[in-house]
Amino acid sequence: MSGKPLSGIRVADFTWVWAGPFCTLQLAHLGAEVIRVETRERPCVTRLLPPFADFQPGLNRSGYFNQYNQGKRSLTLNLKHPRGLEVARRLISTSDVVAENFANGVIDRMGLGYPEVRRLKPDAIMLSISGYGRSGPDQDFVSYGPATVPLAGFSSVTGYKGGPPMHVGVSYGDPTAGLHGALAVLAALCHRQRTGEGQFIDVSLWEASASLLPEALFEYQMNGAPPPRDGNRHPQMAPHGVFRSAGQDRWVSIAVGTDAEWLALCSVMRAADLAADPRFATPAERKRNEDALDERVTRWTTTLSAEEATERLQAAGVAAFPTMTNQDLAEDPHLNARGFFVDLPHPEVGARHHAGIPWTLSANPCAVAAPAPCLGEHNRQVLGEVLGYSEAEIEALSSEGALG
Amino acid sequence: MNTGALSHLRVVEVGSGVIAAYTAKLLGDLGADVVKVESPQGDLTREVGPFPGGRVDREASGLFLYLNTNKRGIVLDLDSPADRAALAKLLDRADLLIHDVAPAKLPGYGLSPDVVLHDRRRLVATSITPFGLSGPHRDYSAYDLNLWNAGGLACLNGGGPGTDDLPPLRTFGHQAAFQAGLNAAVASLGAIFARESTGRGQHVEVSAQECLVTILELTYPFWPYCQLTASRLGNKPIQPLDFFECKDGWVFLCVVEERQWQTFVEVMGSPEWAALDIFSDRLQRGANWDALKPMIAEWMAEQTVKEIYHYLQSRRVPIAPVSTMGSLLSSKHLNARGFFVSFTLPGVAPLRAPGAPYLFSRTPWELRRPAPRLGEHTEEVMAEVAAAARGAER
Repeated sequence: MSGKPLSGIRVADFTWVWAGPFCTLQLAHLGAEVIRVETRERPCVTRLLPPFADFQPGLNRSGYFNQYNQGKRSLTLNLKHPRGLEVARRLISTSDVVAENFANGVIDRMGLGYPEVRRLKPDAIMLSISGYGRSGPDQDFVSYGPATVPLAGFSSVTGYKGGPPMHVGVSYGDPTAGLHGALAVLAALCHRQRTGEGQFIDVSLWEASASLLPEALFEYQMNGAPPPRDGNRHPQMAPHGVFRSAGQDRWVSIAVGTDAEWLALCSVMRAADLAADPRFATPAERKRNEDALDERVTRWTTTLSAEEATERLQAAGVAAFPTMTNQDLAEDPHLNARGFFVDLPHPEVGARHHAGIPWTLSANPCAVAAPAPCLGEHNRQVLGEVLGYSEAEIEALSSEGALG
Repeated sequence: MNTGALSHLRVVEVGSGVIAAYTAKLLGDLGADVVKVESPQGDLTREVGPFPGGRVDREASGLFLYLNTNKRGIVLDLDSPADRAALAKLLDRADLLIHDVAPAKLPGYGLSPDVVLHDRRRLVATSITPFGLSGPHRDYSAYDLNLWNAGGLACLNGGGPGTDDLPPLRTFGHQAAFQAGLNAAVASLGAIFARESTGRGQHVEVSAQECLVTILELTYPFWPYCQLTASRLGNKPIQPLDFFECKDGWVFLCVVEERQWQTFVEVMGSPEWAALDIFSDRLQRGANWDALKPMIAEWMAEQTVKEIYHYLQSRRVPIAPVSTMGSLLSSKHLNARGFFVSFTLPGVAPLRAPGAPYLFSRTPWELRRPAPRLGEHTEEVMAEVAAAARGAER
C-alpha cells in the first residue's frame, strides 16, 4: 500500500488569508482531502492580491492564492444563510479536522465553535489559529500578520547597526503559526489514532513566533540587555555577512565559523597576507577587527559574480550562497533538478512554476495532486459525492442563495 | 505522568547544530521519548550561547538549553565501530531517527537510508540537510545566514527607498533552522501516522532551502505570474505599514482598511493634511509615503507605546508594539496564557523560556525535563538498550 500518509483524512477548512491556508496546505501535501469553504461575498484576501497572471486581475488568477492552495478543493457557502450553515454542519460531521482562523468570536457567533463541532463529530480535531490566541486579556485585539513580527519581538532585535527596528519576511508570523498548526494537528491525529479522542487546539501567531527567539530572551535575562541590532553580523563568527557582488544589486552571503574555513577563505581570495595577519588569527581577533575584515572581503567579492564566488568558496569548504531573488529561485538548476517546482495546468492561468513540497517520503510519495481550485470549482462534487446531496437538492441550495 | 500526544514514540536524534535538535525538541515537547546522541566534544550549540556573563560554558548555553528540553543525552563517537554498533542497537528499538548528517558522511556512519532502514521495517528515518541529498548543491555547506539567503528570504528585507548601499538583511537568530525543523517535524509525523496503517517506516528527506522557498508569500509568484523580480528596495504599494518611534519605544502601524484609516485620522485630531488628495486611499498613501510618513511620525513621537497601542486597539485600528525582550517577559497577556516556562542553572537566577506554542485541550505541551548535561544519560540509556536486547534474545 503506498497511498499518501493522510489519505482518507478530511479537513473542513474554514481558514482564509495566509496562516490558516498555509497550515492546511501542509495537510494537503500529506494527502488529506482539504475542502476550503469560501464565500463569494468576501473572497479570500489572497484571491484579491497580486501577482495576477500576466497582470490581468481575476479571482482565480492570483499567484498568491494559487501558490498556497494547491491540491485543495473549493466549496462556496453563504454562512449567513441557514441552509448554507446546514451544509457546513454536514461537512463538519463528516470531517476529521476542522480549521479556522477568523477574528476572535466569529466562528462561535456563526454557531460553529468547538462545542458545536464536538456535538457534530465527537472525535473531531479542531484547530483555531489567531494573532493573540483564544484566551487572555488581549484576545480580541485586531491582528494582521505583518504586525505580529514586531509584536513577537523579531523587529526589536533585527535591523542595521544603529538603525530602526526592521521587518522579517512579509508576514513571518503567518507561515510560522501555520506550520505549528499543522504539526499540532498531526500530533493530535496520532493521539486520535491510538485513543479515538479528538480535541481543540489553540495556536497564536504571537506565541508561535516568540518561540523562535530563545537566544534573545536568554541574552536579556542572563546579561541584562537584549542583543543589539547588528545587521548581518553574528555574535561570535566573522566574517559573517552579505557582501556586494559584481552586477546590479547582486550579493553573496559568506559565513566563517572555524579556523579551517578561515584559511580556506584566504586561499580562495588568494590573500596569503590575510592568513598571516595577526589581526585575524583567531575567531576572537577576527570578530574584534570585523570592519577591516569585511572591507577586505568586499574588495574581493565585488570583482566576481555572486555565483562565481559561491562556487569557488563552496569548492574549498566555505559556506557561501548568493542572495536569491524570486527569479533566481525559479530558474535555479539545483531546485529544478530536484523537481521541487510544480506546474500543473490551471484552467485560467495555465501552467506556472509554483513552489512545491520541501520534503520527500520514500514509501508514501507525496506529489501535489491538483492546482489551486477556482472559486467554487468543487461545489457539485463536494455537495454530491462527499455530502450526499441530490441534484435537485443542490439546485435548491443554489437558487435559495445558500451557496454564496 | 506523560500525557503528551506523542508519548508512545521513541526518537533518536543524531545531529549537531540547530535543525535536528529543534525538530526533536518539537516532538519531545509533545511527549516523545527523545535520546540525543552527541559526539564526545558535544553539540556545536553548546559553544554558541548566549552564556551568563558572556563566558563560554558548555553546560550553560541558552540556545542549547532551549533546543534540548525533554531529551535524554548520551555520548557516542560515531567514528568508533563500537559506538556505531551501540547506535545501531539504539535504532533497533526506535520509531524515528532524526539526523542532519551531510550526504558525504552518511555511509561512514552507517546512516545511508538503505542501510539504516534495512532490517528496521518500522523505522522512520528523517534526514535534514541544507540543500537535500540530491542535486548539484547537495554537498554545499551553509550556516543559517547562507540558508536565509539561499531560500530567498534575505532578499526581501532591509533596504527601503534610497538605501541601495545597504545589503539584504538577515533576521535575528536561527530562523532558517527553525523553519526547516518545523517542516521536518511535520513530514516525520506524517510518516509516523502512515505507519499505523501500512506497518512500515520509510525515509524522509528534507531540504532546508526548499522549506524557506515555501514561505516567500506573494513575492515568489511575481516571477512565474508576471516576470517581475521582487525587491526590498522601493516603496510598498500600500501604507501605513511601517514603524514609528514614540516617546518610550516603537510601534508598528498596519492601517490597511479605509475605515481603519478614518478612525486613525480622527484619533490624530483630524489634521488638515490628512484630507489632501495625495493621501486619499491606501494606494495613494503608499505612493506618497515619503510625504505622509513624517506627518504621522511627528504625531506619534508625542505618544507613549502602551497607551497608544491600547487606545487604537480599542478603536479597532491594527497597531502593535515593537516588543522588547523585557516587554515580552512581562506581558500580561502571555503570562495569563502561561506561555513562559522556567529553567534553572546553577548560580544563575531562574530563566524564563518560551513554552507551549500551541494549547491542546487533551494532550498538553509539557516541560518534563531540562536539557541534558553532556553524557548525562549514557549509562542509563545503554542499560535500557542492553536489557531490551536480552529480552529480545529470551
